[in-house]
Amino acid sequence: MKKNKLSPAARREQNWAYIMVAPTIIGLLVLNLWPFAQTIYTSFCEHLGFGHYKFIGLANYAEMFQTPEFWKATWNTILFCILTVPVGLFLSLLVAMLLNAKIKFKGGFRTIFFLPMVCAPAAVTMVWRWIFNGEYGILNQALGAKIGWITDPNFVMISCAIVAIWSNIGYDAVLLLAGLQNIPKTLYEANSIDGAGKVKQFFTITLPMVSPTLFVVMIMRLMASVKVYDLIYMMVEETNPAVTSVQSLMYLFYRESFVAGSRGMGSAIVIWTVLLIGLVTVIQFYGQKKWVNYDV
Amino acid sequence: MKKIPRIAALILAAALLLSLCGCGAVDGKTHLKFQIWDVAQRESMQAVCDAYTEKHPDVVIEVQVTSWNEYWTKLEAAAESNTMPDIFWMHTNQILYYSDFGILADVTELYNDVEPGYYENHFSDISIGNAQGSDGRMYGVPKDKDNIFLVYNKEMFDAAGVAYPDENWTWDDLVNASQTIYDKTGNYGYMAYNDDQMGYWSFVYQAGGYILNEDFTKAGFDQPGTKKGMEFYVGLQDYDWCPKQAYFAETAPGTAFFSGIGAMYIEGNWELMNKCVNFPNMDGKWDIAPMPKCPDPVSGDGRATISNGLCYSTAAKGRTRDIALDVIKFFGTEEAQLLASSYGAAISAYNGTEQPYFDAFDKKGYDINVEMVMDQFEYGVQNVNNAAKPKWKSPVLDEVNKVYNGQQSLEQAMAKMQQIVDTETAKKLAGN
Repeated sequence: MKKNKLSPAARREQNWAYIMVAPTIIGLLVLNLWPFAQTIYTSFCEHLGFGHYKFIGLANYAEMFQTPEFWKATWNTILFCILTVPVGLFLSLLVAMLLNAKIKFKGGFRTIFFLPMVCAPAAVTMVWRWIFNGEYGILNQALGAKIGWITDPNFVMISCAIVAIWSNIGYDAVLLLAGLQNIPKTLYEANSIDGAGKVKQFFTITLPMVSPTLFVVMIMRLMASVKVYDLIYMMVEETNPAVTSVQSLMYLFYRESFVAGSRGMGSAIVIWTVLLIGLVTVIQFYGQKKWVNYDV
Repeated sequence: MKKIPRIAALILAAALLLSLCGCGAVDGKTHLKFQIWDVAQRESMQAVCDAYTEKHPDVVIEVQVTSWNEYWTKLEAAAESNTMPDIFWMHTNQILYYSDFGILADVTELYNDVEPGYYENHFSDISIGNAQGSDGRMYGVPKDKDNIFLVYNKEMFDAAGVAYPDENWTWDDLVNASQTIYDKTGNYGYMAYNDDQMGYWSFVYQAGGYILNEDFTKAGFDQPGTKKGMEFYVGLQDYDWCPKQAYFAETAPGTAFFSGIGAMYIEGNWELMNKCVNFPNMDGKWDIAPMPKCPDPVSGDGRATISNGLCYSTAAKGRTRDIALDVIKFFGTEEAQLLASSYGAAISAYNGTEQPYFDAFDKKGYDINVEMVMDQFEYGVQNVNNAAKPKWKSPVLDEVNKVYNGQQSLEQAMAKMQQIVDTETAKKLAGN
């Protein structure tokens, strides 16, 4: 009832508000929601070629769940998340704390750690491929070993995880650094007067206080890890014998949709990935109650 | 003074508008885009375009190069939205897929006013076959023809005291020479890697097998000749002198060869000029030889090389279709094909226009036995193709990959490959 009592001026203002947000909303509808609806529909279709589709119901999903490659890709994606997210977060927090400490050349170090973020991912992976090269790579030279870092099925996932962690530490650390700097100094002062050590300080002050930022970074990192594609695509070519050991869901989606032209199947893989991300995010939001601290 | 910002804004706005118009023709000429994937042929393609625009000053053609990997993704997306480039290269991998959907303009009648039976009179059967759709109509004007051969490092052969490969070479000679070179010089011998056109296909046909039967409806992975060819080819990586598949994932055979790490690999003639130009310090140290033949084929004389060819196509519904058709009509003439050959990047398809290709190597002073490529056309096998190829090409390679990394036996792989190709082909046939 209250709504109707708006003065004409207030209503005009309200209309303006709608007009102001319209570009974003329309953009969201046209560029995100509509393609998403289309993807759902496509996942029930067979792509005959050049945008011609035939409705085939759940056949894509039935076929997908029967393909060992698909389950392997799902597992690879989960493994990639397990390898990159915890280690990545830990290292980012460590770096953020070091950059927050009283050290010389702080600005310089911050820039250095942020540099991977500014480099083109394609260039980054090219450099890492040289480092990892089994025959002439600097890594094997340094270790005196002959390990096929990106061609041995046992190592390829770890190699990709290393590159992923390395490229993201800087960005995550900067976000966490912002979180760290919001912690009032007085808390630490009070704490040290109470005689607490550095380690205890970390667990009683730093971690709880930075946990909201950590939570955001973790969600972002997890989503990005589930969607990993470009890095693996650049690191591991299709003729690489280790490709099935590292092929992520999005890589499989690319090969199905754009190499084999089966866009129906590709869409089904995407929907599966969306469900996977949804599930992980729901778990996280319930889990956050246990460790994320919003009281300041 | 207040007026200045307004005028500035007006000028800026006008500039913005102008830049928008930039994509349309402002000079009254017809602008055509010509899409290709091989940067090494940009020069020759530009030359042919220039030859056309000289006669038709009202047309401007811009040659655009897109890398092979992106080419097909882009072209298909463009075909769906009817924004295809005005002229583009078509490959045998894709021509049936495109033509079956009516994407490509039918050029069967293109030369009727010039000469009836133009294609049959001036192009080889393989060239025509490579430009035909499933319905036997022409969907492109043949551009070039190629085949593949053995590239070898003369210095390594000399160092090991092995005679250079010649037309009498068999598979056994290939293995023996590789072994000797490996033993005496420590370099790799013949570098066999997982590929179809550049890999096991030729060996399958040499052994008397086939990948697809004569009407392209069924695979031949259950044939004894196919089995023989594949067993030999895939088995090569078991020798110490051949790098393993993992090696090739990081180093292409051509790279290994021109870095002086391996003695032999298989290359196509479209890469020759490129290699000569890019590796000047290797000049005179390497040469090419015919594909070694199978000593005891199941059928046939043991000789085969996969021969492919590209064609010039245009969209059936293109906005500039008529002009584009006129351009590719010119591209198919003797004059244009002679000109294209002379750059040494590809052998033109038009019969009798091949010589300038070979002369180009002499003219630039590259000392390789390039004429040999011409002799190989005698036993060339048309690049394997059917309408379902885009669907089965990658999965089949995956199966071979699993043999290389020990996940399955060749026999298991071939049974699966047979099934993949047959299923996809049957689906395609049922769909049309």
